[in-house]
Amino acid sequence: MTHNAYHNKTLQWLFYIAVLAVLGAVPLISNDAFLLNQLAIYGVYGMLAVSISLCWGSGGILNMGQGIAFGLGAYCMAMTMQMQTQADGTIPPFMLNNGLDSLPLLWQPFQNTSTGIFLALFVPTVFYLIFGGIMFTARVSGPFFAIMTLATLSAFATIFVDLQPYTNGVNGISPPSSLKLGQTEIDPYSSGAYWFVFALLAACTVAAKLINQSRFGLIVRALKDDPERVRFLGYNVAIYETLVYTLSGLIAAIAGSCFAVLTQYVSPAQFEVGFSISIVIWVALGGRNSLIWAMFGAFTVQGAQSYVGDQFLSTWILILGFSFILVVRFLPGGLAGLVETLLGRTTKLKMEAEHANLEFSDGKEVLK
Amino acid sequence: MDISSIAFANSLILGLSIAGIFFVAALGLTIIYGTAGVINMAHGEFIMLGAYTVYALQTFMGVPYFLCIPVAFVVVGAIGFAIEKSLIRYLYNRPLDTLLATWGVSLVLIQGTRLIFGSDPKYVQIPQFLSSNIEVGGLSLGVFRVFIIFMALVLAAGVWLIFYKTDFGIKIRAVTQNREIAASFGINSGQVYSFTFALGAGLAGVAGALFGALNIVLPTMGMGYVVEAFLTVVTGGGALLGSAIASLAIGELQSFFALITNSTFAKFLIFVLIVVFLRFRPQGLISASGKRR
Amino acid sequence: MKFSRRKFLKTSAMAGALAAPGIWIPKSRGAWGATLTEGKPIKVGVLFSLTGGLAVPEEDSTLVMQYAIDEINAAGGIAGSPIEPVIIDAKSDFSVYSEKARELILRDQVISIFGCYTSASRKAILPIVMQRDNLLFYPTCYEGAECTQNTVCTGPLANQHSKDLIPYMVENFGKRVFFVGSNYVWPKESNKNAKIWLENAGGELLGEEYIPLGDSEFGPVLNKIREAQPDFIFSTVVGASDIAFHRQFKQAGFDAEKMPIASLTTGEIETKAMGAEYGAGHFLSAPYFMALDNPTNEKFVDGFLSSPYGKNGVTHYNMSETYNSAYVFKAAMEKAIAEHGFEEVTPARVRDACAGVKLSADISPEGETWVDEDNFNTWLVPKIGICQSDGSFKIVKQADAHVAPDPYSIYPDIGTCKANGLVAPDGTVRTDVI
Repeated sequence: MTHNAYHNKTLQWLFYIAVLAVLGAVPLISNDAFLLNQLAIYGVYGMLAVSISLCWGSGGILNMGQGIAFGLGAYCMAMTMQMQTQADGTIPPFMLNNGLDSLPLLWQPFQNTSTGIFLALFVPTVFYLIFGGIMFTARVSGPFFAIMTLATLSAFATIFVDLQPYTNGVNGISPPSSLKLGQTEIDPYSSGAYWFVFALLAACTVAAKLINQSRFGLIVRALKDDPERVRFLGYNVAIYETLVYTLSGLIAAIAGSCFAVLTQYVSPAQFEVGFSISIVIWVALGGRNSLIWAMFGAFTVQGAQSYVGDQFLSTWILILGFSFILVVRFLPGGLAGLVETLLGRTTKLKMEAEHANLEFSDGKEVLK
Repeated sequence: MDISSIAFANSLILGLSIAGIFFVAALGLTIIYGTAGVINMAHGEFIMLGAYTVYALQTFMGVPYFLCIPVAFVVVGAIGFAIEKSLIRYLYNRPLDTLLATWGVSLVLIQGTRLIFGSDPKYVQIPQFLSSNIEVGGLSLGVFRVFIIFMALVLAAGVWLIFYKTDFGIKIRAVTQNREIAASFGINSGQVYSFTFALGAGLAGVAGALFGALNIVLPTMGMGYVVEAFLTVVTGGGALLGSAIASLAIGELQSFFALITNSTFAKFLIFVLIVVFLRFRPQGLISASGKRR
Repeated sequence: MKFSRRKFLKTSAMAGALAAPGIWIPKSRGAWGATLTEGKPIKVGVLFSLTGGLAVPEEDSTLVMQYAIDEINAAGGIAGSPIEPVIIDAKSDFSVYSEKARELILRDQVISIFGCYTSASRKAILPIVMQRDNLLFYPTCYEGAECTQNTVCTGPLANQHSKDLIPYMVENFGKRVFFVGSNYVWPKESNKNAKIWLENAGGELLGEEYIPLGDSEFGPVLNKIREAQPDFIFSTVVGASDIAFHRQFKQAGFDAEKMPIASLTTGEIETKAMGAEYGAGHFLSAPYFMALDNPTNEKFVDGFLSSPYGKNGVTHYNMSETYNSAYVFKAAMEKAIAEHGFEEVTPARVRDACAGVKLSADISPEGETWVDEDNFNTWLVPKIGICQSDGSFKIVKQADAHVAPDPYSIYPDIGTCKANGLVAPDGTVRTDVI
């Protein structure tokens, strides 16, 4: 093990705190409504990246269907917001056009805001728990698990399109007003909404980081490298895999709920294969092994999409494609890997100057 | 629901044709995945390139349709070869990374095509006699669909011959089973992979030449095929026969479900069935190489 | 104890934040942030997809919008001010529509947005349009059953679109019909209207099938059609699927002369994309055809095709609706400026001024149209055309009079859309119904 500042736990925490502090300070600097809303949505993407980094980077479970938890969370939240705008006894306008004359059972829990928000987190998490449990006990892993999540995601996309009376099909649900919590309306363009999302992002990131550093996280990382060996050591691999997958689902569900609050819109597009794969791409670009760099990956790609894209309309996708190929080819650890190498080089030089201090770092293993 | 026996028979025949489409779409992927374990997300774009090759040949050179098909094979095969040589060969021991890198390739191919041909839709012309229908006692199928089934059989036979009756095929199978031991017998596994990838890409090109006639030709047309092709290959297990059986099952079931419900719900049922099937048989129907699961 | 303390801190911080209501409401809430100045450019958003699956119809909308704006600016702009379009590529991605609509409204502070083709993209941007009381010009056909105070639609509603088409087809080909559509709201609502016309014409509905958007496998549907033996097919299949449908229809041996497809979507751009021989013999109902024989259309077609925007070589109904929306905007702006003065114009006032705006036959290529004073949809004349072997259309029937738009024609129990909201039969008014 080399002595690399990248693996120094204290420095890592300082870096996390610094990044989160900068992100949290944005509304103090700017009150551009569009910018706050846009950055808050990037925060949602950041949560998704953290969730993928947790299950893929740490657990080695490539999940190409993270849209499942995201979409379910977003739908539940949008349904809650839609019901808030309905006067008592009325049903959402689209249902009337689809031949329903009373609120279907599926929608009834969402009449109560707290229940609705609870379900927005509960439904996806339980789905992940069951789906993950079923798959991992059958020892489905690697690319096969990725393909299964892809198939399940496609199944969700099709059924949400087909159940038009309940989901409004392709059009999705666009609640006409913002979410109200008690008497407070969360205007999606306010600094309050930004801080709300940011606090959740910070909480998810810190929680994921604590998980990674815990004993649980150590076992999860071990089973990424060699599940058989972990199994022989007497651990129930399926339980660990299921749990880490479910936790990542919970984070994605939180992200989905925030997304619905911020955009007042959800549609089967959230279940599209392309969207779920692009989450994996952010994480791969940023560095799957590092939560915070995975988050940067999301910010970079989405930010570039919003700002670079308009200047070079037609070449932007080419740039994205090529940069992605280059990262995978030359930087398998993503941007984080680059930073790790650079930091390693500087510390190494320093170490050589100090005649190789043999003290071991207490930080993480070098993750590959 | 009452379904006449004629309708049921027609749905069986149609299922055969859908199976043909699935199989042709999945064939190239089967070879690439089965041999090298590469999850090629750019497969749909190879199909798209095949369709554009035919379009370009027809529009700018007036090449007849049947001649376009082998040319599409060669052109897309060559593109595949170049991509393998410049990118994929560095990633063979990182299967999940090939998945990501080929996604990048697919973006580049889509945008490159858009810059060259524009984003307006094109189409592939087919000879008049393919645009008709065969009808025997209430049973019917379009000639072009018969032609796709025919092509599926021809391609399957061709691939089978290459794999089991040629020296190259013996090398491919040797490399698939154990790369190191094959290498110790003097087989250049890198070269085998390159040609296998090119062959798979070329087959996708042929698929594009066929689908271009059924569908609209757009830079993004490949997206529609890649997920379904993947599910077919994984359900099949990565072997040629596995993909054939999986295509047949998916095609027939989709046709039947669409008959008794509707096309959207049929797709949903297929996805669910695939997930359930893979839950109980993660290695697929027929596993190409024993070591992966 | 560490955790409970952290929890306590967090809770009290949250409570503190909740107690300060200012942070939840941005300052600019509800109001349009900009002011127009005489002689300075008037910013409008143009929000269509230039790439991706929706680019086929939407790119033409952007092009014709640029053409119309150039034309208006060359003729002196709006009361001396030129229109300045902010052109956005929505990349066929609904999240991009929603993000870019927010950017147009909050950052660019456009006075109106011209955009969207699919209902899904419209639903994606309406929340912000309504919240900031901006204005969306929606220049295409749509299903209705929506009553916002922020939309002006220049295309045909479901209740106008097939009113003549169904009786015409029943009369000329027979009573038995099969409905095929893409699986989403617009086709389903259009079919509900079509059923009414069908019943009035004494026709018989043999079956109704919906295909997933973008799907290209029409085998099962064509089998059902073969089994049902209809006299004609009524189609609301859209986009790439529509092209696959027509190609596979012919390849399956169906003959347009014996069993034509009567479509609400298959226009000049689609027949060009599928190859004219696949479109020939099928019917389309639309308020505009490239082949319309009138001097305004002649000028429009010649002018557009020879302009830098005419690269795709055709004009079609969607383009005429987009072109008209630019002129409705111009007329409404002039009205609002005359009434309130330049500095006092807001999107809401432009919207109010749209009521009753009439485009004369020498502006509108499809003939005279006007915006309804109550529901802000457009009175127009649907026409029926048959596709020729070269992909162009021959007009075979034209309605005698303008057809009134009614977004709630088939839902009288829900109410009537008026300028101030959806008025239920019991008199209650609801705003922002989407």
